[in-house]
Amino acid sequence: MSMKRLKCSAVNADNSFTTQSRSRVALRMLLFFSALMALLALSMLLGPSGIGIPDMESPSGGAILSLRFSRLLMGMMTGAALSASGVVFQALLRNPLAEPYVLGVSGGAGLGATLTILAGTGVLASFSLPIVAFVSAVVTLMVVYGIASQGSSGQPSVYSLILSGVIVSSICSSIIMFLVSTASVEGMHNVIWWMLGSLQPVSAGQQLLSAALLFGALAGIWLLSPRLNALALGREMAHYQGLHADLVIVVGLLFATLLAAIAVSLSGMIGFVGLIVPHVMRAIFGPDHRKLVPLAALGGGVFLVVCDAVARTLLAPVEIPVGVVTALAGGPFFLIILQRRMKQAWIA
Amino acid sequence: MMQHDAMTFKNVSAGYKQRKVLDNVSFTVKEGEFVSLIGPNGCGKSTLLKTAAALLKPLSGTVELFGQDVQHIKPALRASLLGVVPQKIESPMAFTVDQIVMNGRISSMGRWGNPSPVDHDLVERSMIYTDVLDLRERFFTELSGGEQQRVALAMVLAQDPKIIMLDESISHLDINHRQEVLQILMNLNREKQMTILLVSHDLTLSAGISDRFLLMEAGTLVKAGTPVEVLEPVVLSRVYNCDLHVQQDPYTGYLQVTGAIDSLRRRQKLNRSVHVIAGGGSGIELYRRLLIEGYEVTTGVLNRLDSDAEAARALNIPAVLEQPFSPVGSDVIAQALKMVDDADAVILSQVPFGSGNLVNLTLAEAALKSGKPVFLADGIATRDYTEGKAALAFSTRLMQSGANAWHSMSELMTHLQLPQNR
Repeated sequence: MSMKRLKCSAVNADNSFTTQSRSRVALRMLLFFSALMALLALSMLLGPSGIGIPDMESPSGGAILSLRFSRLLMGMMTGAALSASGVVFQALLRNPLAEPYVLGVSGGAGLGATLTILAGTGVLASFSLPIVAFVSAVVTLMVVYGIASQGSSGQPSVYSLILSGVIVSSICSSIIMFLVSTASVEGMHNVIWWMLGSLQPVSAGQQLLSAALLFGALAGIWLLSPRLNALALGREMAHYQGLHADLVIVVGLLFATLLAAIAVSLSGMIGFVGLIVPHVMRAIFGPDHRKLVPLAALGGGVFLVVCDAVARTLLAPVEIPVGVVTALAGGPFFLIILQRRMKQAWIA
Repeated sequence: MMQHDAMTFKNVSAGYKQRKVLDNVSFTVKEGEFVSLIGPNGCGKSTLLKTAAALLKPLSGTVELFGQDVQHIKPALRASLLGVVPQKIESPMAFTVDQIVMNGRISSMGRWGNPSPVDHDLVERSMIYTDVLDLRERFFTELSGGEQQRVALAMVLAQDPKIIMLDESISHLDINHRQEVLQILMNLNREKQMTILLVSHDLTLSAGISDRFLLMEAGTLVKAGTPVEVLEPVVLSRVYNCDLHVQQDPYTGYLQVTGAIDSLRRRQKLNRSVHVIAGGGSGIELYRRLLIEGYEVTTGVLNRLDSDAEAARALNIPAVLEQPFSPVGSDVIAQALKMVDDADAVILSQVPFGSGNLVNLTLAEAALKSGKPVFLADGIATRDYTEGKAALAFSTRLMQSGANAWHSMSELMTHLQLPQNR
């Protein structure tokens, strides 16, 4: 009898805990969104021309503000793409180190983009850039997957995937270096500037195309997100639970690759965002992908926007490559999160 | 009530790229049956489960669930027919127990993954059934192995399947939770007519609860039937390659299977000694088993550096040794003959013979002459590298003068015990 009562009270305590933790999550969400808004506003105030709202009376004032805004858009798109891509790779490969760079996907996209930049000129190039980057990223992923599958029956192990990803990635960057060294001075300048990673606005056409692809891919991933939860327990378990596990994996990898290609074709090689933002978001909001995918996309976008604001302001008029800032700012933050909240984010 | 066929294997062969694991397996599990699948490690039990769940496509033959070919059943429907509790589930990310169990509803939830009240009810009921409701807010990764296993069972129960297969899922549990999980399975079986296929290593426990046993050996189904029919000591001892005893409790009718360790504990040191003729690594397993069974063991003649010589040194077995790669000389044979004199029996391992060690067979001959039992490993013809097949001829002579042939280790151990038991 007393046993029964004990159990009931435990259940009750549980329920109250649930509501308590729900309101805590709501509070956390509110704080998170306010912080995002504040950071976006802040980044509109930062720039090489000075801190604060530029003088709207002068003709340059409006131009500065609109330039800042278009860099904000570029940052939002690139950061969202990188971060969401990282979330998917980490979920599908069940590995905390998975991200587009590690798997060679970014390297492959970079190689395709380099070829396009060196070969093409004008409007056609800027349109074909995301497409070529995507195709070469998919080809790279297939090569990596193929190498990793050698000798194993069926699914390659995560370790061989990452190992072959790192190798293929470095081969891609060697080829890029080779192409750059044989290119004309102008081509060399273009590629290197692009490779350093920057949120200089690209043509309106390319921005529109990228935005359309980005929203398509994000929506696709969000649709997959309940299945990503199930796949966290592995392909086999997901199969037993009635999923087309292999189909989900392939579609997920394609979406994640598309996102990485969009990011690379928009802003060049910007590292770290796809690795750290998903971890930070998971630490704050838990691993449920239905929440994690949109939150990580938002968080990644804002993170990159803020990093860019810092990059263009800190040593003005000299602009620091934004990839340097993401690594310098994100690294230590990541380490703190890692130590304090890893337990709730990822137990490797 | 008419019992339908829940699961049918029809001449199924299955496996991986180059390795066939299941070989022409056929059986039927009726709806509402509680069946235990038993067999030694690596005999193909897990492969059978994977094939039943359409994770592996059979190389030939078909698997049917309720009369439909499992390869052609839509995944979501398959999940409502068949649930699998694997040996262990691992969550790399910090999901809560609640979230993990909800995965069981994944294929029936809507596109956006929003659980309906039915989904919530099923999840809650499964958690109550498996006693993990208290853990619902905890992180799965922080739970003990037994708790994780009960959560896994809750997740599969939430699928609301008609058949549940468990792949050695209860062997990690401590005794109270094992009893509890088995009780849960029995209740599901009795009350909801749920069909259970349990891969088990605990033969005694399974015998108490199963309607039927399926016994597998090396990818084939060797026996199917009631526990009494399948749990036959001779068959079990052969399949598991060790000495097993089966006792039936006269009052409860429960079967009890006990292994070599249990019989060993009852048996004191034997005070019997055995001389082993070995070489080239053929003696290591023999030494080990004989020592476990409680015999005193001597061995020789071996060449120094031979792996059997090394094993004998490591196991503290007295051995007569010759120089490395040298033919066995007459002085060492004399020493070995003394050992044979002190031994109660002589065993010849599956040692290959060349001109160098052929003389070792005279040790067996000497033992026979003094009336001691001698056991020769069969198949000597394939290991005879002497000129004119001298070893084969010698061994045939030995067999004619009363030596026994041995084939498997468990058979040899049984034969060795006989004279003493009488």
